Amino acid sequence: MSALLDVAGLEAGYEPGLPIVRGASLTVGEREIVVLLGPNGAGKSTLIKAIAGLVPASGGSVRLDGRDITGVRADRLPGMGLAFVPQTENVFGTLTVRENLELAAAILPRSRRAEAVARALALFPDLAAQAGLRARRLSGGQRQMLATARGLIVAPRLILLDEPSAGLSPKLVDDVFRQLVRVRDSGVSILLVEQNVRAALAIADRGYVLVDGRERLSGRRDELEGNPAVGALFLGGVPAGEAA
Amino acid sequence: MPLVQVLADGLVVGAMIALGAVGLTLVYAILRFANFAHGELIAWGGYFALSLLTLATGWLGLEAGGIGGLSIGWALLAALAGAMVLTAALGIGLDALLFRSLRRRGGAITLIIASFGAALALRNLIAFLYGPTPTYYSRAIPMALPLLPEEVAAVTGQIRMTPDQLFILGLTAVLVVALHLFLSRSTLGRAMRATAENPDLARLFGIDTRVVIRWTWAIGGMLAAVAGVCFGLTAQVRPQMGFDLLLPLFAAAILGGIGSFHGAVAGGLILGVAESIGVHLIGAEYRQAVAFVVLIAVLIARPAGLFGERD
Repeated sequence: MSALLDVAGLEAGYEPGLPIVRGASLTVGEREIVVLLGPNGAGKSTLIKAIAGLVPASGGSVRLDGRDITGVRADRLPGMGLAFVPQTENVFGTLTVRENLELAAAILPRSRRAEAVARALALFPDLAAQAGLRARRLSGGQRQMLATARGLIVAPRLILLDEPSAGLSPKLVDDVFRQLVRVRDSGVSILLVEQNVRAALAIADRGYVLVDGRERLSGRRDELEGNPAVGALFLGGVPAGEAA
Repeated sequence: MPLVQVLADGLVVGAMIALGAVGLTLVYAILRFANFAHGELIAWGGYFALSLLTLATGWLGLEAGGIGGLSIGWALLAALAGAMVLTAALGIGLDALLFRSLRRRGGAITLIIASFGAALALRNLIAFLYGPTPTYYSRAIPMALPLLPEEVAAVTGQIRMTPDQLFILGLTAVLVVALHLFLSRSTLGRAMRATAENPDLARLFGIDTRVVIRWTWAIGGMLAAVAGVCFGLTAQVRPQMGFDLLLPLFAAAILGGIGSFHGAVAGGLILGVAESIGVHLIGAEYRQAVAFVVLIAVLIARPAGLFGERD
């Protein structure tokens, strides 16, 4: 059976001729949390943005459920079952919480929109209490919840998250990650970029270590946790080992 | 002249500036560049209506005469509607031919210089097609009617306005309320606000930003056409009218906070009233100077404009 997301030999970058992602390959299966680790500047964010259609791909391919989505416009991907939540500026500060969700739900058929917004608010009770508030007035944790709720609102098959723990207190990180496990268990696959290696591996099913725009290591959670090369990552070094 | 009359005259001018400034500020908010060709959309709106008026009275046989004391008849209303559609198309066409490819390859300066060029071409095209002399929609001399009851007028002074001026104020009010509801309630309006805030994030929300951009030009063009026709009604249409309006348009948009819809409306009205008071107190030759004194004073107190937000 083929994977839900299949990235093969992807090359991508902001400037033509200067690829940041250089032939990266990875897969995400059904109901799987996959974490993308790596040192700063390894191209993790660029890779996830290239999958989401925000950075042009110059080579390789991205397949979602067997369908080639390489070079598909970013605004068409939510309708195809792929949602991307960026690290920062991931909600519209001038719109209210409810307006953010309604806007994301607008790609659904009219009859399903209200229900989708209600479902998203039910998943995050903290947000429901703030539905009328402009998103720029939310706390960091609430913002991240809104961003995640927005990504989930179109009932995607796969959600891409760029550092959902960035800027959050350790307690909030635990909350967000526990929520991600529930999201996975509800049938949505997750590909996430994280600096918080320990917390990310704790909830991941599998992981990849990206170095210089290419995956250097990959494996199941227990394989990565036991790998000294990944341990080096905790200290900010570059792993020297071969694929596990 | 009583002060209330000066204020009323200022509001009429301000309404026309506001209609133009809203289009300018929306294009700025979505596309992040100052479009110096926006004044020409206003001029073209005025001239489109002039041509359609000739068509409507000549071919369709619509009455050129006014409805109830208005010099505006069904013919001009039909011409106005047609001019709105054509000016919207002109804005969309301008973007497709010129600005779209420059957005991909050039920076903000390239776009601004290109808009200067487009303005020059559009302005001279009007002079080439229609001739350089000013033209009236109607030769009828409108009657100004007293608006206030005698008892009130005895205290405040009387306000006299032509039915056309009242029509301009009413139409502007309707359009501003409609646009406010559109931006705050409709999905497309919210998508426009979202694209103004962060185009990349808008795409992640599933918004086709190309559609948003087309609608931005369409709305800006339609409002420009209304401003142009109103200008033609109160004065006359002339090829350089867009250029003459450009400074007040920018002043109004900046005064209100560039990129802010409510700011552009407020800025236009304040500017119109300030100009009117300035003309009354100092003289017509200082019309624009007064506007800029107001602009400078507001910007010293609030550098981001009345409704603007600092980044």
